[in-house]
Amino acid sequence: MKTLELAERALKAAEGDEAEALVHAEHSGVARFASSEVHQPTLIDNKGVRLRIVRDGKVGSAYTNRVDDEGLAELARRAGEVADSARPDPLFPGLAPPADLAAVNGYDEETAGLGADDQARLAAAAIEGAGDFGLYGYFTSGVTELAVASTTGVRDHQAMTDAVCLCLAAVDGKSGWAVRTSSRVGDLTPAEPAEEAATKAARTGGAQQIEPGPYRAVLEPYAVADLLTWFAYDSFSGLGFIEERSFLNGRLGERAMDEKVSIRDDALDERGLPKAFDFEGVPKQQVQLVENGVLKGVVWDRETAAHAGDGVESTGHAPPDAWKYLGPQPFALSMDGGQAGSYDELAELVGDGIYVTRLHYLSIVQPREGILTGMTKDGTFRIRDGKVAEPLVNLRFTVALPDVLADVPGLTRDPMLVNQNELYDDRFPFAARVPGIATARFNITGTGSGPGL
Amino acid sequence: MKALCETAVEAALAAGASYADARAVLTRRQHVVTKNGQVDDLSDGESEGIGVRVLVDGAWGFAGDRRLDEAGARDAAARATAFARAAPSRNGRQLAQIDAQQGEYRTTFERDPFDVPLSEKIDLCLRAEEGMRQPKIKVTQAMVRAQREEKVLVSSEGSSIEQVLVECGGGIDAYAAEGDQLQIRSYPSQHSGASGQGGWEYVESLGLDREAPRVGEQAVALLTADDCPPGRMTVVIDSEQMALQVHESVGHPTELDRVYGTEAAYAGTSFLKAGDLGSLRYGSDLMNITADSTTPGGLGTFGFDDEAVPARREAIVESGVLSGFLTSRETAAKLGAGHGGSMRAEGWSRMPLVRMTNLHLEPNEGTLEDLLADVDDGLFLETNKSWSIDDKRLNFQFGTQIAWEIKKGKLGRMLRDATYTGNTPVFWGSMDAVGGQESWVLYGLTNCGKGQPGQSAHVSHGAAPARFRDVQVGVKS
Repeated sequence: MKTLELAERALKAAEGDEAEALVHAEHSGVARFASSEVHQPTLIDNKGVRLRIVRDGKVGSAYTNRVDDEGLAELARRAGEVADSARPDPLFPGLAPPADLAAVNGYDEETAGLGADDQARLAAAAIEGAGDFGLYGYFTSGVTELAVASTTGVRDHQAMTDAVCLCLAAVDGKSGWAVRTSSRVGDLTPAEPAEEAATKAARTGGAQQIEPGPYRAVLEPYAVADLLTWFAYDSFSGLGFIEERSFLNGRLGERAMDEKVSIRDDALDERGLPKAFDFEGVPKQQVQLVENGVLKGVVWDRETAAHAGDGVESTGHAPPDAWKYLGPQPFALSMDGGQAGSYDELAELVGDGIYVTRLHYLSIVQPREGILTGMTKDGTFRIRDGKVAEPLVNLRFTVALPDVLADVPGLTRDPMLVNQNELYDDRFPFAARVPGIATARFNITGTGSGPGL
Repeated sequence: MKALCETAVEAALAAGASYADARAVLTRRQHVVTKNGQVDDLSDGESEGIGVRVLVDGAWGFAGDRRLDEAGARDAAARATAFARAAPSRNGRQLAQIDAQQGEYRTTFERDPFDVPLSEKIDLCLRAEEGMRQPKIKVTQAMVRAQREEKVLVSSEGSSIEQVLVECGGGIDAYAAEGDQLQIRSYPSQHSGASGQGGWEYVESLGLDREAPRVGEQAVALLTADDCPPGRMTVVIDSEQMALQVHESVGHPTELDRVYGTEAAYAGTSFLKAGDLGSLRYGSDLMNITADSTTPGGLGTFGFDDEAVPARREAIVESGVLSGFLTSRETAAKLGAGHGGSMRAEGWSRMPLVRMTNLHLEPNEGTLEDLLADVDDGLFLETNKSWSIDDKRLNFQFGTQIAWEIKKGKLGRMLRDATYTGNTPVFWGSMDAVGGQESWVLYGLTNCGKGQPGQSAHVSHGAAPARFRDVQVGVKS
C-alpha cells in the first residue's frame, strides 16, 4: 500500500479546488533472446505520480518520478501552473467520486517474487524447448501497481502481476509463433509455446505464392486478438464514437456480424489480467460490445461520457496518459468461443482457403468502415479439402473487420488469453481473450517475403 | 549526474563486468492539445533515472533505476551485472574499438520552448483550430510539444559526455464527416505533426495558423471527392510521404541488428544480408540515401550516440547501390566494418538499440511542377494516412490523406482514400525523378517503435517529392 501512501502525499502537496494523484509503479524484468541466447536483458524499477489539479474549472496535469518531498512540492507547483494557464472546460465532469470496487485477484506472490535469475532461467527453458530451431522472443514478468487518491475521497489501490513467454522459432525459410500470458507464472510452462512455435515452423519450409483475392480462412487466436484490438482503437472507444470514427456510429442495435459473434470488455474476469479500476479511479464495468452479432455499445471514461451527454456514464475505461489520444479503450477484450474442438475442425469448416497463425504490422486504412491492413506471418498455410496443406509466403491482407466477422462458420470452444502489451512506456499488462475462428471472407491484397529470418 | 555515472561504472567493474557504461537522463516534456475550441490536454512531465549496461563474460546486462542518487546507481550496477551472469553468452560479444571521448553537445536555439508561456501555446493552437472550422468539420485539433533531455554518459573505456537536446513541434488535424464518410487532413503530417531540434522558432516556422484554412477546406472537399481508382500508373509522392517511405523501406531494413536477426521477434528482420554491402541494387541511379547525425534541426542530431561514438554523415545508398548500414559497436564488429554511431535509447530505463538518426533522400533537381510535367496519366499523393510493411521490409502498403489526378502534366480532380503498394527494391528502381534542394523538406517524427520492452525513437528524414513509374494504386478491402 506504499503507492497509495505516495498518492496521498502528492495530494497533500496540491493546492486547488480539486486534485487527484495517480501513482503508477513498475518492477519488472525482460529476458529478451535472439538466436537462442539472451541479448537484451532489461530490469526496470520506476515509480511516478501524475497530479491533476482543478482551479476555477481549469484542469492542469503534471508528472514526476522524483517522489521525495521536494519532488512532490515541485510537481504540485507545476501542475498548479498548468491549471492556471488552462481555459475553463464547460464539459469537465469533475473528478471521480469514491465507489466500491469489485474484488479481483490479479496479483500472484510467486510471480511478484521473480528476479533476474528466474527470468533468465525461464527464458532458458523456452530456448531449450525450441530444439534445433533458433528461438527469438522474451520471457518477462513484473509487478505493476496503480493507486489513486483524490480530494473527492477516492482511495484505490491495486497491485497486479503478469508473466509472458513469447516465442518465434525460426531459421532461414521457416518460422512459427506462440505466446503464453498469465497473471500467475505457475500457469506458464515456457517450453510449451517454444515447442508449439517450433512444431509450426517445421511445417513452413518451401512456402508457396498464391493469387490475391478473397479467401475463406482460419485465424488462430493470435490473429483474432490483433484484429480486434486494432478495430477497437476507434470503433469500441467512446472518443471514436463521439468523433464519428467508429464503425458503430449510426449502427448501434444493428446486426452487423454473424450471430455466433459476441464480444465484450471484461476486466473483472479472473481468467484474464484482472483490474478493479481505471486511470481515473472509476470501477471497471463489464461492457457488452457485440452480442450475437448485434452492435451493442462502446467503452467510456468520464470525459467522453460527459461530452456524449444523454445520461452516458463512465464504464471505467480511462486509459494511461500515453494512450489518451485514443480515448477510453477496452483493455480486456473477450470474445465468446463456439463449438469447434480444434483448429483442424475450423479448417474442415473452411474447406478451401488459407490458415493464418498471426499478423504483423497492422494499420488502420479507414476507421469508419473498420478497414485494416497488415501481413500474415510465421505460419501461413493453404487449406485444401478441409485440411491444412502447403505453407504460404507472408500475405498482405486488407479487410473490413465487420466483413471478416459477418460470416463465421465456427469458433473454437476455449478462448485463449493473448498478450497485447508491447511494453512501451510504463508497464500496464493487458490481453485479449479470444477463440480461433473460421471466416468466409479474408481479403488478400498482395504477397510478401517467405517465412523465416 | 557525472559522479553518479562514475560510481555506477566503478561498481559494475568491481562486480566483475569487463565493460560498463552508465547514462543518467533527465527528461522534461510539455504537451498542449486543443480540440474543438477547448483545451483537451495540458501536461508537463519530468522523468529521471540512471541506466547501467554491462558486459560480463561476453553477456549483456542492463538495469534502470529511477533514483538519481548513489544507492540507485549502485543498485542498478549490481542488478545489471547479476542479470548478465544469469544469462550467459555462448559466443561472447565484441565491440568495435573507439577512442575514449570527452565532450559536450547542446542544441542551439533562439527561444527556449520551455520559456514560452503555456498561454501563448494555447493561443496558437486555438487560433489554428479556428482557421480550420468549416461546416461538416466534426473535429478540429491542434497540438504543440516541447522536450528537453539532459544526459550524461560515462563508460569504463574512459568516455565522459554531457549532452542537452532540445526539441519542439506541432501540428493540426481536421476531421470531416457526413453520412458514412469520414475524411482527415493534417499539417505538416498526421502523426503528432512534425518536430525539430531547436527552439520555439521551429514551431513558428511551421505556420500552423497560416495553413489551417486549406486543411479545413480540403477535409470537407474530400467528403465528395471520387474514390482513387485501382490500377498501375505513375505516381508523384510529396516530400512528407516520401519521408515515411524512406523511414520504412530504407531506414529499418538497413539497421544492422535487424539484418542479424535480433529484432526478429518484434520489429522484424530485413531483406538485406550483410554480404549485400557494396553490391545490392536498392534502387535507380537517382537514389542517394544519407545517414547524418549532424543535420541542423534533426531529431536524430547529437554530439555522440549512446555508445559515445561521435556524430557523422555517411552514405547508406549511393547511386542506387547499398553502401552502408546503421550500426552499433557490436554489429559493426560483427560486420568487420564501421564503428557504430546509431545506438540510441529512450530515456534512462531502456537499453540502447540501433536506431535511425537523420536519414535523408538526397535531392536531385527540379520542382514539383517539373516532376508533374512528364506525367500523362498518374496520381499525386500527399500526406500519410496509413502505413504497413512486412517484417523483412519488402512488401509495403501506404495510404495518403489526399490524392490528385495528373493529366497531361497538370493536377486535375481531387481523389480520396488513395493507397499504393509495392516491393521495396522494385519500387525504388522505378524512381525516375527526385526534386531539387528547393523542394527538400526535413520532417521529424516521434513515434518510431522498436525493441522489447518497446522504445519510441525521435528521428528525422529530409526528402523532396519523387516520381515512380508503374505503381499499383487503389487497393481495396
